[in-house]
Amino acid sequence: MQHTICALATGAGGAVALVRLSGPEVCRILSELTHRSDLPEPRKQTLCTVYDGSEPLDQALITYFKAPHSFTGEDVAEFAVHASPYIKARLLELLCQHGAVPAKRGEFSQRAFLNGKMDLVEAQGLCDLIASGNKAAHKLAMDSLDGKLSARLADMKKRLAELLAQIEVRLDDVDEEMTPLSDEFVQGEIHTVLGHIKALADTFSIGKYIKDGLKTAIVGAPNSGKSSLLNGLVGFDRAIVSDQSGTTRDTVEEILEINGQKIILTDTAGIREHALDPAEKEGMRRSHRAMEAADLILFVLDASRPVTPEEKELWQDIRRQQKRTIVVWNKKDLSANRPELEAASHYPAAAVSCKTGEGLEELKKLITADVTEAQTADGLMISNLRHYEALLRAQTELESALIRLQARAGGEIYAEHLRGALNYLQDLIGEVTPDDVLGIIFSKFCMGK
Amino acid sequence: MFVCEDKYDVIVIGGGHAGCEAALAAAKLGAKTLLLTQSLDTIAQMSCNPSIGGIAKGQIVREIDALGGAMGRVTDYAALHYHMLNTGKGPAVHSPRVQCDKKVYQFTFKHFLERQPNLDIMQDEAVKISVSDNAVNGVLTLRNTFYHTQTVILTTGTFLAGTIHIGTEMFRGGRYNDMPSDGLAKNLRDELKLHILRFKTGTPMRINARGLDYSKFRLQPSDNPLQPISHFTDVNEQSKRTFLSCYITRTTLETDKILRANFQRSAMYSGNIHGLGPRYCPSVEDKIKKFPDVTSHPLFLEPEGFNTEEYYIQGFSTSMPEDVQRALIKSVPGMEKASITRPGYAIEYDFSDPRDLFPSLESKHIPGLFMAGQINGTTGYEEAGGQGIIAGINAALKTQHKEPFVLRRDEAYIGVLIDDLINKGVNEPYRMFTSRAEYRILLRNDNADLRLTPHAFKLGLLDACYKAPFEKYQALCQTLIEHPTADADENETELFPWTVQKARTHAEIYHKYAGYYERNKKDAQRLAEMDSVKIPEGFNPASVRGLLFESAQKLAEVKPQTLGQAGRIPGVTPADLQLLAVHIERFRRLRNAKAAR
Repeated sequence: MQHTICALATGAGGAVALVRLSGPEVCRILSELTHRSDLPEPRKQTLCTVYDGSEPLDQALITYFKAPHSFTGEDVAEFAVHASPYIKARLLELLCQHGAVPAKRGEFSQRAFLNGKMDLVEAQGLCDLIASGNKAAHKLAMDSLDGKLSARLADMKKRLAELLAQIEVRLDDVDEEMTPLSDEFVQGEIHTVLGHIKALADTFSIGKYIKDGLKTAIVGAPNSGKSSLLNGLVGFDRAIVSDQSGTTRDTVEEILEINGQKIILTDTAGIREHALDPAEKEGMRRSHRAMEAADLILFVLDASRPVTPEEKELWQDIRRQQKRTIVVWNKKDLSANRPELEAASHYPAAAVSCKTGEGLEELKKLITADVTEAQTADGLMISNLRHYEALLRAQTELESALIRLQARAGGEIYAEHLRGALNYLQDLIGEVTPDDVLGIIFSKFCMGK
Repeated sequence: MFVCEDKYDVIVIGGGHAGCEAALAAAKLGAKTLLLTQSLDTIAQMSCNPSIGGIAKGQIVREIDALGGAMGRVTDYAALHYHMLNTGKGPAVHSPRVQCDKKVYQFTFKHFLERQPNLDIMQDEAVKISVSDNAVNGVLTLRNTFYHTQTVILTTGTFLAGTIHIGTEMFRGGRYNDMPSDGLAKNLRDELKLHILRFKTGTPMRINARGLDYSKFRLQPSDNPLQPISHFTDVNEQSKRTFLSCYITRTTLETDKILRANFQRSAMYSGNIHGLGPRYCPSVEDKIKKFPDVTSHPLFLEPEGFNTEEYYIQGFSTSMPEDVQRALIKSVPGMEKASITRPGYAIEYDFSDPRDLFPSLESKHIPGLFMAGQINGTTGYEEAGGQGIIAGINAALKTQHKEPFVLRRDEAYIGVLIDDLINKGVNEPYRMFTSRAEYRILLRNDNADLRLTPHAFKLGLLDACYKAPFEKYQALCQTLIEHPTADADENETELFPWTVQKARTHAEIYHKYAGYYERNKKDAQRLAEMDSVKIPEGFNPASVRGLLFESAQKLAEVKPQTLGQAGRIPGVTPADLQLLAVHIERFRRLRNAKAAR
């Protein structure tokens, strides 16, 4: 089996997500992602930092299985990472950027079978799995690519195929009957397609939110009004609200729609560093985790009193997460002024009163602001990792084509990259064969012998 | 009926570019071979243009040559003008083209055939392929002679039920002045039940050079220095020969006007022709109709031989009536006083759906029946020759109970050609282009020998005397790739016919494309792995549960032999392939378990 494949092995939910990687390039990818030259000892869980470029992405427990002593019979690595949607998706993205491809349904099992790790009875179940996936995926691909998105991709594909045809026809035009293409024209065409691809690829993180929901953690000191805020946003009395600090000991999750956007709100226990009550301690541990898993943090402060040292410490903690954060000044009705908070001006802020509902609309706009901004002008976005990956690869190919064009390489060279890009778009929307390009050539140009 | 007492391994029906290569290859592999042709005087005839090679076609000729075929060598014998095309672009798209003396070409080829051991040549027309127990067992001819054979290679060109059109005039013919093969056409269609379709092609008029005004033409001299098209031709000796020139002129507004005024009189537009013609290399009336914005098209005057004043006018293919053709000639600068010697014409002929073939070019329905050339829906001498040599090899291998010889898409244009034909089928005469080859960077004319000659030695298609110099050349290429400045004795004679200079050029090109070599190789390796998974005998892909309905249908139609081939059938999804992979393995294990019991 030629490719190295990757996939999420655990479903949604849970604190830990398992990402599995299998194939001949596991060792290389492992060392590239962990910045380690030595491989973890086989079959032992090893704590490693997974890097996103030079930045750490997560601390992961990695288990390496050396071929043939693995489930698939190939080299396998399993990454146990924090189950934040961001970390999961980003890890899969990174694996793909380092040469892995998303596994097809049942592909791990398929490899296990082909490598003699599974018997015939198990294979029957495997076939059923693939078969059901075949129909479902086929339909899903058709559905998800139906309408605007597939029309946009088809446009890009067409434009690229036409450019390629223009280049190809000149490569095969020995009589030099056709006026040569100017570099500016080719560059312009590539830039146009590249622009569309980039814009679409950039919507991925956003598109993912739309599909999976934007994970929003409500964080703050005990009794700063977190649960009231949750209720204010949800619109009914969901979490237990009491005046006694530390009521919310578990995290409370609520799925709601704000401005058409799916939001998963998590109310956390008030974070107090020196909690004595063991239940409260456990709740706070979960709060930390919720914060780590979040795409967006709402830091709730009581505007009617000064910021406490504990809140200052918590604020440092939040900022270290380097996540999108909104500072929410609660109890607006009780105070006209805002207390001092370090570097608060770098973060968007909203003043609300959960009691009167004042300011909640502005806060809602802030929460969904990024989501609406990152759509393409006409509202298209992608939410599927496979689509994202194909676009990313097409983008890389087009950028390579531009570089080769600038280096004055021949048409046969940058045509390789354009064809590469076209192939990735083809993966998304169905077949482009060289015959398609020839079809354009024959219909548009008069070819001699 | 006379039943010939000789029992043949291979009978080739047709003596064109496919048939001749097929017969030579089969005989070289030791098969007792018979070539049947209507007329020995038109064997290997260049029925259309007097040139071999051209863009992408030149690469095919180099491949045939590297495999030990004759087309390249015969071309160098008959050469009257050399031109390396596309030298302004990268070496991946350089293509050799050689104008030939048509008579020298065909008689040289005939002589090659006559000297080939194991090969008999007989002038007679095949009318019936005899099939018994669902396998080929003989051929019956027009003279009522029966030949026993294990295999037949059909290379019928444009002869099957051929019909010629000049304007609204229609008459039967396989080529101008030759009879069509009607008996065989009927046999294939009605008795063997082949899936027969119809194509159309055409040829331009020939003119007498007397009266041409050369001052109005652009001269296209033969390349100096030249590069022989065969790897085995001595470039120094070849360069001493005399060559002719070609000339270039253009159609005018007057040409355009004449064509427009007479559209309805063209066979193409009169409704008489039902076969599909090629979209490229169209007739001149097609060009005017489809590309009305282009007011002037180039015309190339190519000599038909050393000892004739006849010129072939490339670009002027037409099925207009004779009077219109005369007017057309006079509308072109420099040709005003020229006269037509043979009018251009269109021809319709039967071909067989190539999807009915295995990659070996053997029929899926009639074991022992192979097909090559235009009968598979292609056009061009080179495409024909390329299929011919593969069909010849595989027919011989079959009689020796050996595995078929199949070239992959990353190995040769011939591989691309056959893979396209058998998997995608054709809806117009198939002509090779470099853009059909996804591994274009690997498939160049300069490395055809490095790609394919090892196969030729292994199969026994090339004289063993070339083995030592070739291996030396291979080693030298490798050295120069690793150490571009390495010393090499420029006058090394043990390399002949290869040279140090050629190795240097190869190394330079390798470095120019280095990154792309790796890229293409990696892709190709994936392909090879998929192709190495054979779909076992007895395994029916269409019976696999869970395949998409359309995929199952297509798989049943094409009957792929490998997983890779299944993947290249338009519409088959990656999940279909996954399912196939699992079922193939399952099938294999069950069969092994049964065998063990």
